[in-house]
Amino acid sequence: MDWVVFVISAIAVLAGALGVVTSRNPVHAALSLVLTLFGIAVMFVEQQANFLAVVQVIVYAGAIVVLFLFVIMLLGVDQAEDLEVEPLVGQRPAAVGVGVAGLAALLLPIAFGKWQWLSGQASVAGPAHSGTEPNVNRLANALFTRYLLPFEATSVLLVIAVIGAVVLARRPLHTERQGLTAREEP
Amino acid sequence: MGDPLYAHGIDLAVVLITILKVILTFLFLLLGVLLYIWWERKFISDLQNRIGPDRAGPHGILQSLADGIKVFFKEDLAPTEADRRVYRLAPYLAAVPAFSAFAIIPIGDKISIAGHQTYLQLADPPIGILFLLAMSSIAVYGVFLAGWSSGSKYPLLGSVRASAQMISYEAAMSLAVATAVLATGSLSTRAIFVHQSVWNWNLWQLGVVPFGIYMVAATAEVNRPPFDLVEAEQELVGGYMTEYAGVRFALYYLAEFMNTITVSAVAVTLFLGGPSGPHINFLPALWPVVWFFLKLFAFVSFYVWLRATLPRLRYDQLMDLGWKRLIPLALYWLLLIAALRVGDDAHWPWGVNHGALNAITVVAAAAGAGVVFFGGLGAAIRVGAKRVEEETARAGGVRA
Amino acid sequence: MIDYLPILAMFILAGIFAGVSFFASRLLAPQRPTPAKEAPYECGIVPEREPAERFPVRFYLVAMIFIIFDIEVIFVYPWAVIYRQLRAFGLWEFVLFAVAVFVSFVYLIGNGALDWGPLRRMSPVAGTPESMRSAERTAATTVRRVDVGTQEPAA
Repeated sequence: MDWVVFVISAIAVLAGALGVVTSRNPVHAALSLVLTLFGIAVMFVEQQANFLAVVQVIVYAGAIVVLFLFVIMLLGVDQAEDLEVEPLVGQRPAAVGVGVAGLAALLLPIAFGKWQWLSGQASVAGPAHSGTEPNVNRLANALFTRYLLPFEATSVLLVIAVIGAVVLARRPLHTERQGLTAREEP
Repeated sequence: MGDPLYAHGIDLAVVLITILKVILTFLFLLLGVLLYIWWERKFISDLQNRIGPDRAGPHGILQSLADGIKVFFKEDLAPTEADRRVYRLAPYLAAVPAFSAFAIIPIGDKISIAGHQTYLQLADPPIGILFLLAMSSIAVYGVFLAGWSSGSKYPLLGSVRASAQMISYEAAMSLAVATAVLATGSLSTRAIFVHQSVWNWNLWQLGVVPFGIYMVAATAEVNRPPFDLVEAEQELVGGYMTEYAGVRFALYYLAEFMNTITVSAVAVTLFLGGPSGPHINFLPALWPVVWFFLKLFAFVSFYVWLRATLPRLRYDQLMDLGWKRLIPLALYWLLLIAALRVGDDAHWPWGVNHGALNAITVVAAAAGAGVVFFGGLGAAIRVGAKRVEEETARAGGVRA
Repeated sequence: MIDYLPILAMFILAGIFAGVSFFASRLLAPQRPTPAKEAPYECGIVPEREPAERFPVRFYLVAMIFIIFDIEVIFVYPWAVIYRQLRAFGLWEFVLFAVAVFVSFVYLIGNGALDWGPLRRMSPVAGTPESMRSAERTAATTVRRVDVGTQEPAA
């Protein structure tokens, strides 16, 4: 039963990932990313990490990919990309290098027989679910007692993110502008 | 925890009961939407001193069924500029979450079928009410992609507007829902319903404010009037579904009404005690279902009344209400409820119970915090408005 | 995990329902497309401007801020489940978190980042093509004659 769910969600994850890199249209790529994230949510459910599964859908699929779509609209790049142009020089070889390194980081522990590094058995917080206690209670107990500092640090991080968003998206008040410059561009 | 149906492993009977429940819920939703569309047209006609549909069946009750059959014979068009694949996918992304979100609603007590006990509720997953939020975040895609894939002006404007509206109110709605979770200490909708007894609803336990926030945010979330800017005819023709015709359009229409039914059912569950009501010895399993549907009916009729009464908001008013009013109020109320409960448990502030004196001290402290909170907020709103004024003047415009 | 079985069944049933509806409509509905029917909707006139390719930065800003608030709200749920066990400690740690949220909120509002007020312009929007403003453009020239099935404006 478990492995049936795993295989199906793994296929969804991989199909989505392939879709992200092979789609020429950025909106299609973003949709493939949703498929991947949804597959990961199903995997979390299969691992009995119910709360993380729903966070995966609400935050990643529901907020972050929506932001991607808005950015695509904002930049007006909802057209097929010209693959001949390389905007950042050396970006593609670097991407291949990082990809290979990432794959190696995944495969090496298996090669050395350290499965538990990957499977989460080495987790310090214990299993996601035990007995009758719901998963979210375990998670909350860990988060709000033992890992309180990271939790509070997150709030500071989010304040920084808000300021970053405003600085990026809002013009400083005292810059000189002439008329409706933004609208005059063709 | 969880439906007792699955407590003893899974066999053929369990699977059959599950399928039966799924089909019944599905049929209820379809039938409910047909009746709701009829009721909306009839009720709003009464409010506007018209007759409304009266040809198909007694009092026109078969009108929406006739309309439903009609759409199958309507030509299904896709505009030339459309992105065909996404254009075909988008209605699925609207319909599937609309059908599924209702699954977590408890509509009655435990019953037993063929020796198996089960809840009158399609599913009681451990994440409970968060499932609703997950489904409403998927529903944003149905709206956004419909507009984008049409390759047409008005649907695109409508969908960007709609998705910005939906995500803006999602935060306020989540906070209001979290306040209801606060009362129970469990995410499960079943636990939230059981926690409230016959008249001791969360509506009173939490003060009426979270309920109000939930209602406003949910109305905006499902794009019902007065928050139906998404399909403001004067500006956007039909909004994100302008280019959809025939069955695809019908599916969006269906999803919209289904979402209204679902958010009403969630309001009933979270704040109005769900299926709880006076116990009646005759047919005890039946009455909770009756109470639930009576409450649900009151809510869906309330939405019709809203539509008949309130004019549509302007976009900046909508955004102001969501971001600058509802979210801060919901956050304040959440902390207030938590402080009152924790303070009650610990007999703040003196550690011993002095009865009303304790409560008065905590409330006074909370009111002080509220003055700082809303005072800061009000100052920020004034500063922000002034800044935008200045910016607008620099850009050569005048703020209307 | 078994608790999700009915939800999965509902996903499948809803998907099948939508698919069967489309299929039935394909069998039952007429298929007589004409260029006029398939053109993007523009209230009967010939579209002269393409759909906007770029959208105001405010939409991006709202999506960005939404992510941040969504994450903050998500933290409320686990806390709401166990806040009574955590007692005053839990309350104060969450008040600290909420203060951070509130500070960023006040910053956003004070900055006017959440302001959508209408802008009344003094001059006509620059960049409007001359053809859109010309006297030639009358009700007679912009109406599409649907019955001949052409997108050309009437002569």
